[in-house]
Amino acid sequence: MLLKNTYNEFIKILSKPRSYLGVGALTLLIAIIIFAMKADGKSIISFVTASFEQTLTFNGHVLNGNLIAFIILQMLIVHIPLLVALVTGDLISGEAAMGTIRMLASKPISRTNIVLSKFIAGAIYTLFLTLWLGFLALFVSRQLFGTGDLIVLNSDGLVILQDADILWRYGLGFCVAYLSLLTVSTLSIALSAFAENSIGPIVSTMAIIILFTIIGSLDVTVFDNIKPYLFTTHMASWRSFFEDPVPFDDIRQSVIILVVHNILLVVIAVYKFNKKDITS
Amino acid sequence: MKTFLTCILFALQFGVLAQDANDILSKVITKLNTVKDYTVSANIKADIPMIKILPNNATVYFKQKDKFKVQSKGIVILPKQGFTEINTFLANKKSYMAVAGDSSKVVGVMTKQITVIPNGESSEIILAKLWIDTKRSVIMKSQVTTKSNGTVTTNYTYGDKVSYGLPSQLIFEIDVKKFKLPKSVAADINKTTTDKSTPTKTKGTITITLTNYKVNTGLSDELFKKKDK
Repeated sequence: MLLKNTYNEFIKILSKPRSYLGVGALTLLIAIIIFAMKADGKSIISFVTASFEQTLTFNGHVLNGNLIAFIILQMLIVHIPLLVALVTGDLISGEAAMGTIRMLASKPISRTNIVLSKFIAGAIYTLFLTLWLGFLALFVSRQLFGTGDLIVLNSDGLVILQDADILWRYGLGFCVAYLSLLTVSTLSIALSAFAENSIGPIVSTMAIIILFTIIGSLDVTVFDNIKPYLFTTHMASWRSFFEDPVPFDDIRQSVIILVVHNILLVVIAVYKFNKKDITS
Repeated sequence: MKTFLTCILFALQFGVLAQDANDILSKVITKLNTVKDYTVSANIKADIPMIKILPNNATVYFKQKDKFKVQSKGIVILPKQGFTEINTFLANKKSYMAVAGDSSKVVGVMTKQITVIPNGESSEIILAKLWIDTKRSVIMKSQVTTKSNGTVTTNYTYGDKVSYGLPSQLIFEIDVKKFKLPKSVAADINKTTTDKSTPTKTKGTITITLTNYKVNTGLSDELFKKKDK
């Protein structure tokens, strides 16, 4: 029954025009970035390497598909949560707003399974969005710009990774990026359980992300104790796979915190939906 | 009269030193000029603060007088000056003045220090100090100060192509204290703690091991015009 309901939920997602809005926006954004890089990529790269190029020269194929993919991910990973929340924030509250929640609850399926099926459908949509992002960022960029070593600029300097040492980093990086986006999806669905309209959970999700990101970026000691537990602190953990050596312990900690967030949010949503008064 | 004699003696001494330096340099240049072109495989290892890069292989092409190209599969870091600049500069004897200095040992080899000062102000090189092995007429060490790139010290090791004056290994020492990262690009929102420690190392080294020289094979000019993909 859970799988059947998940299938129904996914059909509902596919039937909503806003589901394609995210995919369309993502495609357009990536197309614009690729066009910009094709037109003027070298000057963007030299902005980063200018300080070094007074003394050194970087020989080889610097502007390649791997670098473009990294730039795309870095630019878009902040905006994709909005595209995810746009769809998943509507999953429970949308039913309440349209008045279909009573019909849904009257079906021979527990309320817990209804919420779980919505979480699974949301997770599948998020997975599709992440895969589409990966396909456009990595596959298309590599086709258009070719492959090559990757220059990554971290806060403590440049890391140059060899071409043969990159794909596994992207693979694992996308997995962690998916987990981050899944947390956004879970958060918006959990908030959706509290709301009666679609806009509230979407806006609340983005507000929470913005608030937590600002707290995380403020270099104030009073926030030092809570920063490690904010999920936004760990949303850019995918980037750690492009450090040398890879800080696997930090990544593991980020994954644990994101997974704990997901579990907690699912539990909260299930509890709230089970207690929800759908008669009024 | 005493002052006059001192001046004459000083001028003669300086003339002798300059003559000595020019002779030494002439021999080095003559040796280098026997190479019309070359192709060589290079293994480039960079140890530079703020840059992490694994050693990489490249092919270096050179053709007189100043055509130079590095071709590599991956990204390689090279010093902005060092491969050809000093040779090109020395080739034009009228553009500089050379003065011989003390003798000293460089990596166990007795060398003569030659200081080269450009005559005009238009030269990119401000000052070059060369430690020359007078027996083999090869540069063992150079310290070149330029207007835009600071000072680069290069240590030379020679192998089977010493008869052409071509080194088997070059070690560049580069001043890196002026490297600054653009903050807006470098910002890592994932980092919750800021690293207060500043890099204490201000010198970077690039070691280039050169093998499999192919000298005077008649490289075409087209090779240097072709852009790498």
